[in-house]
Amino acid sequence: MGIRYLKKHAALEDIVTVEDAETLLDWLKKQKKPAVNLGRCQHLHAAVLQVLLAVRPAIVGDVPDPWLRKALGCPEA
Amino acid sequence: MNQTELLDQFILEARDCLEQAGQRLLEVEKNPDDKERLNDLFRMVHTLKGNCGLFEFKALETVVHAGEDLLDRVRNGTLGYNDVIADALLEAMDFTAQMVDEIEKTGQIAVEAAPRSQALSSRLRALLEPGATVSTPRAPVSAPAAPLPEAATASPLPSPEPVPPWVDALPPDWRSSPSTAVAWRYSPEPECFFKGEDPWLLARQVPGLLHLKSGTQAPWADLSTLDCYRCNLAFAGISSAPVAYLHEHFRYVPEQVEFFELSNLPDKAAATSMQATVGSPANAAMSSAEVADTATASPDERAQAVRELIFLRTLQIWEDQLIILGRPSPQPGVIQACRLAFKNLLHTLQELELPVSLQAQSSLAAINSVGALVSWAQTHRPSLDHPVASADTVSAAGGGPLTPDNSRRGGGGADDGAGHNKVLKVGQEKIDRLMDLIGEMVVAKNALPYLAQRAESVFQQRELAREIKAQYAVINRIAEDMQHAIMQVRMMPVGTVFQRFGRLVRDISKKLGKDVQLVVEGEDTEADKNVIEALADPLIHILRNSLDHGIELPEVRRAAGKPEQGTIKVVAHQESDRVFIEISDDGAGVNPTRVRDKAVERGLIPADKAATLSDAEAVQLIFLPGFSTAESISDLSGRGVGMDVVRTAVERINGHVDLQSTQGKGTRIRLSLPLSMAVTNVMIIEAGNRRFGVPMDLIVETVRVHADDIHHFKQARTTVLRGRIVPLRALHDLLALDESPLTNEDGEHAVLVVRLGSENVGLLVDHFHGATDIILKPLEGVLSGLTGFAGTALMGDGGVLMILNPKELV
Repeated sequence: MGIRYLKKHAALEDIVTVEDAETLLDWLKKQKKPAVNLGRCQHLHAAVLQVLLAVRPAIVGDVPDPWLRKALGCPEA
Repeated sequence: MNQTELLDQFILEARDCLEQAGQRLLEVEKNPDDKERLNDLFRMVHTLKGNCGLFEFKALETVVHAGEDLLDRVRNGTLGYNDVIADALLEAMDFTAQMVDEIEKTGQIAVEAAPRSQALSSRLRALLEPGATVSTPRAPVSAPAAPLPEAATASPLPSPEPVPPWVDALPPDWRSSPSTAVAWRYSPEPECFFKGEDPWLLARQVPGLLHLKSGTQAPWADLSTLDCYRCNLAFAGISSAPVAYLHEHFRYVPEQVEFFELSNLPDKAAATSMQATVGSPANAAMSSAEVADTATASPDERAQAVRELIFLRTLQIWEDQLIILGRPSPQPGVIQACRLAFKNLLHTLQELELPVSLQAQSSLAAINSVGALVSWAQTHRPSLDHPVASADTVSAAGGGPLTPDNSRRGGGGADDGAGHNKVLKVGQEKIDRLMDLIGEMVVAKNALPYLAQRAESVFQQRELAREIKAQYAVINRIAEDMQHAIMQVRMMPVGTVFQRFGRLVRDISKKLGKDVQLVVEGEDTEADKNVIEALADPLIHILRNSLDHGIELPEVRRAAGKPEQGTIKVVAHQESDRVFIEISDDGAGVNPTRVRDKAVERGLIPADKAATLSDAEAVQLIFLPGFSTAESISDLSGRGVGMDVVRTAVERINGHVDLQSTQGKGTRIRLSLPLSMAVTNVMIIEAGNRRFGVPMDLIVETVRVHADDIHHFKQARTTVLRGRIVPLRALHDLLALDESPLTNEDGEHAVLVVRLGSENVGLLVDHFHGATDIILKPLEGVLSGLTGFAGTALMGDGGVLMILNPKELV
């Protein structure tokens, strides 16, 4: 599925591939209050993770993958 | 036992295991419900795995381990045994055998084997769970419980000492991980995204992941200049998997990863290694690497850790002895071996400065029965917390150190010897060497009669000559006994060759779409090792021929009114000093007409001769070099190197091949082989003042033929013996000697009649000199290309006797 860019946040769903990283970065840079929803994200590519770590957008909803949750520094769900 | 010996032993045992496992695999395939066999099979694979674990043969162990897991499931009945499993297991076995060969040759496994082993083991594992081949990422909670025993010296850690700063930087709570865990750091290169790598996925899927932290290699650049395709990530984590697994996991980016074993942390080394292993002696074998690594850091703690490890090993061996003793009907040797083991274990405990009861030692020496030994071992089981409760407990550290062996040193030699198993495994080359030595001994011994003769004739010492002869008789007797004994050692059951047939028949018949049953009888029949070994290839040739040409396809068989399943029977038995092996099939048999046509077509015999052959004779044509009836060349047969090679190979070891075939009913091939080829009985003949030997089993008779009875027809000479025409050839001509055959006073030629195949040929020689036993040495080096000679033998007087090979000569 990749990324759906919604009004308030970007929804990262299923498997987010390396190609999505650049568009995501560009989109996040444009937002005033960047936010992403990882609730239905099965896996994201390291490049995407890097974008998230660099931009530090707000995380909407919980993160199902415990490792990813830790990597992003989210509170325990 | 040093490392090399241990390795040799491992190879021997691994081969044994593999051979038997292969056998069992096929048996199990026939009766998948046979629990006994399955258990047997499992046990063998288990043993093999255990043995692999002793060394750093990761590639081998991975495969065997996967096989073991699979078999375990089959054994428990949670998985049905089927063809796919059998194929996978057989393939894994082949790989294992290859690895063992490689280990034998080079002492290690090449790195290239790792991917194949990985592929094989994942294939085996895939069978384990047909539904779920994709593993879900492991949650931190469900970390694998027991890490595998792992020896890590093969893959030394990049930075064992001192503790690298990145390890120190790890969150403090990670340090509570088991000491067997490994900390790792992975810093992907900036360009990694362009190589299709996904460092996050790689990091997340680290086997046995307990903790994972992601960070950056450099601070994040400003958002506007951030290049999201230059990797700036860095990962660190803790894994409970052995280092080798991690190496395997990061095999594509080895230069970007660092490992550190937590057991090397100064504060952990001693205490936690103990914690992790105590209570489960099986884990005590954890890693010799641990010991190695611990040796360098803060001496006291390290020493303590080493002591504990040794203690755990001791405890484990102690338990092992109990298990061994617990087996049904142990041999007396086992008891002694266990007793010896206990004795040595006590000694080890003393060296560890652990309290050992004197009573334990003294009572051990007197124990002679299994029950007593078991109860002894149970009472005196060593323990760290509760020293052996006994009045006379002595701490070896304080009191005079015990010398536990003293009391038994006297009889120790015999005791130690008997302590080993009754069955000795010895490398073949050692036996061969023994055989060679005996050969030399026989030759040296044979020089004594000459010496006696010289003493009498040259030095006129009759008395001395008689004494030499008396001594000779004694030495002769001993030498003969020795020779006999060694021959017995060299005897092997023919079954060792037959074992691989099951697999062969299974594979080939599957490939050809035929249904074939292999019946083996008389596998206990024994013959000399060399004979057995020389037999393997010809037999496989014959079997292949039977499978390819003999047994028909099921439809054809049905049409011919035969059962769909073809039968190949291999029967071995012994008759006097020969071993007979019969391979019969109930296939189509050899078609004599076709054989005749093919032989003529290939120009092997002239057409008119082919027409005069009887059917039974025509069938023998398949032994001609270059003969093949196959229309097309398959990878099984048809290249025309079949039966000819078989016959040559069998005749090289003084055997005969005999083939009978009834068209439509099947073929029977009968091999007749000598029991042993160590000693050859030869007849000594003389031609042109030179002596030669002729193998006795080829000789039909020796006759004197008057020169007038020899008929000359152009170059050919013939004579009539017992109503049959026998062609005569002069040995002088065959060997290109200048002299011509001599006659005796009565004008008679000495004729040695030898059998060549089914024909008799007379050889004209000068004199006969009686028979003798010799040890035939094949021609070596530049002489090995020489035809006409079977080899040489050393005579008692030091002379060399050339042994003729009439088959090549005539």
